[in-house]
Amino acid sequence: MSTTKDFIVEQLKEQIAGFKAGVKHETVGRVMEIGDGIARVEGISEVMMSEMLEFKAASGSVFGMALNLEEDRVGAIILGDYLGIKEGDEVRCLNKILEVPVGNGIIGRVVDPLGAPLDGKGEIQADKFYPVEKIAPGVITRESVKQPVQTGIKAIDAIIPIGRGQRELIIGDRQIGKSAIAIDAIINQKGQNMKCIYVAIGQKESKVASIVAKLEQSGAMEYTTVVLAGASDPASLLYIAPYAGCAMAEYFLDKGEDVLIVYDDLSKHAVAYREISLLLRRPPGREAYPGDVFYLHSRLLERACKLSQEFGGGSITALPIIETQSGDMSAYIPTNVISITDGQIYLMPELFYQGSRPAVDAGLSVSRVGSSAQIKAMKKVAGKMKLEAAQFRELAAFAQFGSELDKDTQAKLERGKRLQEIFKQGQYSPVSVANQILIFFALINGLVDDVPVEKISDFEAGLYKYAATSGAKVLKEIVDKKDLSEKLEAEMKSLINDYKNNLDYLIK
Amino acid sequence: MKITAKQYALSLYESADGKTAAQVKAVIKKFIELLAKKNQLSRAGKIIAEFIKIWNDKRGIVEAQVVSANGLDKTNIKLLENYIIKLSGAKEVTVSQKIDKNILGGVVIRYGDKIVDGSLKTQLVDLKNKLIK
Repeated sequence: MSTTKDFIVEQLKEQIAGFKAGVKHETVGRVMEIGDGIARVEGISEVMMSEMLEFKAASGSVFGMALNLEEDRVGAIILGDYLGIKEGDEVRCLNKILEVPVGNGIIGRVVDPLGAPLDGKGEIQADKFYPVEKIAPGVITRESVKQPVQTGIKAIDAIIPIGRGQRELIIGDRQIGKSAIAIDAIINQKGQNMKCIYVAIGQKESKVASIVAKLEQSGAMEYTTVVLAGASDPASLLYIAPYAGCAMAEYFLDKGEDVLIVYDDLSKHAVAYREISLLLRRPPGREAYPGDVFYLHSRLLERACKLSQEFGGGSITALPIIETQSGDMSAYIPTNVISITDGQIYLMPELFYQGSRPAVDAGLSVSRVGSSAQIKAMKKVAGKMKLEAAQFRELAAFAQFGSELDKDTQAKLERGKRLQEIFKQGQYSPVSVANQILIFFALINGLVDDVPVEKISDFEAGLYKYAATSGAKVLKEIVDKKDLSEKLEAEMKSLINDYKNNLDYLIK
Repeated sequence: MKITAKQYALSLYESADGKTAAQVKAVIKKFIELLAKKNQLSRAGKIIAEFIKIWNDKRGIVEAQVVSANGLDKTNIKLLENYIIKLSGAKEVTVSQKIDKNILGGVVIRYGDKIVDGSLKTQLVDLKNKLIK
């Protein structure tokens, strides 16, 4: 007993003796002007760009970030409640660039852009702090994208495959399922060795709450972090939110893990940055956005990458979302982000209202990484699918004239209709790769030609159920081998035919 | 373009620098006339503040405030002056004293936009934080 007491006293003495009572040198300034989340500060002559500042308000200290370094003043944004700050309040430099807590402790949490918890589950256990702004990995460290991200959405995995380390834009009007695609993709990452970060920028808190509830319900919060800068938060928090989310993703990247990050959405981010820029009196340009709005998004999206094995082999896949105004893809921000990303998923209102959901427009959507982000088996079936889809689009426009069509054309049209039907998919119901391959295989080999169009969804659901019980071996082989051998193809064919023997609605 | 208070103060400094007392008087009279003509007399307070800054800056004078718990004697002030000259690289230091019991002991020096905090209170807080860790 006494030994522990002595030990503690010894330790205490040692600690106190080792304590260096140094003098602190600090740089301070005073608030000259304050308003709209922007402060102009005089003094702080040695402040760095995007350095953290501490505003000593009467109601407690608030953090800020230096953005404009001018001759005799500094323009700063205030990250938090600026109503308590008065003119003449003291401002202190913290001698560090703005950084956020990162680590395994943030998984499953809802945090604000500064890493403070918003879900009431207690303090966040951070391993490290990462700077919010970071230069993207260079050429030497990168590798070409080659592993797939399975979104579980048939239309995307087949026609517009996304690879690990890719940046794929989701673009479309309001309320046609942009976020739904991203959320489905997150839900489908279960067991795929992927961490997910969902950055909500300027979203309604009610919508985010329902998303978090949905993620929790489907077990996706076990590997997901939600970074939330809501609609009522100041523009400064909206502005740093995607960078903070990316910093959190970089922690896992540095550990060699794969991360999927969703920025929902970057149009609101650009608007927040426009607000800050105009308040800081930076000159406005097109649509009143400042001159560096392109750099704003390019430096963010360049941080998505696939690192080569020597550098850990991790990846960050980015799914930025952009909202267009009545389908105007040629506005300033949409064109900017389209040119930065490696492809886009375009959601079409007409398709959405016709009921083909997800409303992915196969013509305007592209993935510049292409089939290298698909497993071999998927490549084999998806290649033919693309052809069928393209032919159908062409013929469907032509067939509207109602003239008599030859047999071959009619067959193609019929198959196209079934293809369209197969691409329809409910929300929160991702389909596994093996099942996707099975249904696509059935389609391209004409095995669904005798299923009535309106019965396709029943057929599909039944097929998955049947395959899960009677065809488990076949599904497992597809996943393990990742390729279709002739033998496997024959087995798939017989599996589908066996299933069809039990059906009563087939066209005779 | 609007002329800033700083620019007025700088021009006043430049025209008055190195002149005799009588000349300076004339310069100031002319300067006031200029301000009156430009309708800038209301900004005189700001211009004077800027002028003091420029004067101190050009002459290498630093104004420092020393906060202590119990007041300091002459020798200590002299030592502190030398210390501030070494820190700031100024030629001359004018020290004003302030007494604040809250800092318990030691001194806090403020000059320009810098604070050198050597107070007992801050050190005790640091020690507390370190022991908690």
